[in-house]
Amino acid sequence: MTPEPLISLRGLTKRFGGFQALHGIDLDVEAGSVVVLIGPSGSGKSTLIRCINGLVRPDSGSLRVAGRPVDLGDEGAWQRLRTEIGMVFQDYALFPHLTVLRNMTLTPMRRLGLSRAEAEAQARALLARVGLAHKAEDHPSALSGGQQQRVAIVRALAMRPKAILFDEPTSALDPETIADVLDVMRGLARDGTTMVVVTHEMGFAREVADRVVFMAEGAIVEEGPPAALFGEPRHARTKSFLSSLRPEALHA
Amino acid sequence: MDLLVKNLPFILQGLGMTLALSLTTLLFVTVLSGLLGVLATLRFRSLRVLVRVWVELFRDIPLIVNIFLVFFVAPLAGLDLTPFWAVTVGLSLWGSANGAEIVRSGLNAVPRHQWQSAAALGLKTWEVYGFITGPQALRAILPPFVGLLTLLIQATSLGALVGVGEFFKVGQIIVERTTMMEGWNPAFLVYGAVLVTYFVICSGLSWFGRWLERRLGRPQARPVPAAAASPAPAPQLP
Ligand SMILES: Nc1ncnc2c1ncn2[C@@H]1O[C@H](COP(=O)(O)OP(=O)(O)OP(=O)(O)O)[C@@H](O)[C@H]1O
Ligand SMILES: [Mg+2]
Repeated sequence: MTPEPLISLRGLTKRFGGFQALHGIDLDVEAGSVVVLIGPSGSGKSTLIRCINGLVRPDSGSLRVAGRPVDLGDEGAWQRLRTEIGMVFQDYALFPHLTVLRNMTLTPMRRLGLSRAEAEAQARALLARVGLAHKAEDHPSALSGGQQQRVAIVRALAMRPKAILFDEPTSALDPETIADVLDVMRGLARDGTTMVVVTHEMGFAREVADRVVFMAEGAIVEEGPPAALFGEPRHARTKSFLSSLRPEALHA
Repeated sequence: MDLLVKNLPFILQGLGMTLALSLTTLLFVTVLSGLLGVLATLRFRSLRVLVRVWVELFRDIPLIVNIFLVFFVAPLAGLDLTPFWAVTVGLSLWGSANGAEIVRSGLNAVPRHQWQSAAALGLKTWEVYGFITGPQALRAILPPFVGLLTLLIQATSLGALVGVGEFFKVGQIIVERTTMMEGWNPAFLVYGAVLVTYFVICSGLSWFGRWLERRLGRPQARPVPAAAASPAPAPQLP
């Protein structure tokens, strides 16, 4: 018997007003695996990833995390779930009025019950891991985009999550700093962190993903290991999307 | 000078009344504004509509009409308010309508992703307001809010019209009394003193507000993004 997936979606739908953004999504994410979501703009990738932690509330369907069903209508249940599933956004969204250290200790102290000393020790260790130990006392405005995004990643890690969701973590960054952030994410993947990543970095997807999922118009068109999906896409929709990408994006 | 000494107890009493009126009003307005302003940013539509109605209703009624309304209409509804409370309630209704709007727009000016990333970390709604969006909004809220409070202190002088023996009323009485009993008109002197007193109180408050702003501004030399830096316009006396 295969173990139950860490995250499991069945028939998930979401409608914005008159617009059906997600049509019955089924998706499984195994513990320790990296799933990369790709697809054209507006295909519902952000909506889907936000439905996994309730930043967008699905209208119907089911979501199970670590074997437990999530009550989609219960804000308290979502809030508890968010302490277990981290998220990193395109625009990093550090808290500008707090130091880097405080950004990283606030929630672990409130949710995990860590003492200030424990939370700070953990934060400094995580910062050191991404080469930013010397920035602990700074405010986010003193950091570059790439540095802020690395802090955002370790801020999520500080909650010791079961999985981390990434929504285009490198799209707002300068080309020079993208590599640093991708390196950190590669490291996480090597350590067996469960990740769901929306990205346009096809090179990263090819290298790191266990499974690539291609979405279009609010539905999953096809999915498979990167070699198969990139090498021999089955659907015309997938083929035309992949061929629309710049060739260097595929082999980076 | 003689005039001042003779009327000193009377003047102090009026000043005390003005301060009491101001402090109660400021307290009510601050609490109500914070509460209504936060309610207006929650995702419950009915609450937002409720606050909208409150704001539009009380903000656009001239302040003096507001006070008269409370003073003359409340008794009809079986509420027997003293002039002091009628003025406090009237000022608080108007002040909270304006204050709620300042708080609401300050909170809404905090970029949406701040809310999202705070929620995504597992913070509860009140924690997001208390630790994340509230402190960031404060910088936009403070200047117009202190302006509103200054306006309210000035507006306590409207209490004279419904018979609250506050500072301005006391000034009026002294002028009348002296004119009648001593045969000279001290209006220039008395109203001059009244003016200086209001000026001292209100500029003291403004100074406190700027001090608070500086204190809040210090730790982060962050340029506020243009979209986020649109504080509500300071309210005007209608
Ligand atoms: N809050 C919302 N209200 C209304 N429509 C929305 C909302 N959020 C997303 N949509 C719509 O849902 C569709 C899917 O949006 P989504 O952001 O999930 O796409 P995406 O695949 O992440 O695109 P991109 O690559 O541009 O980020 C779009 O048509 C978008 O306009
Ligand atoms: Mg998106």
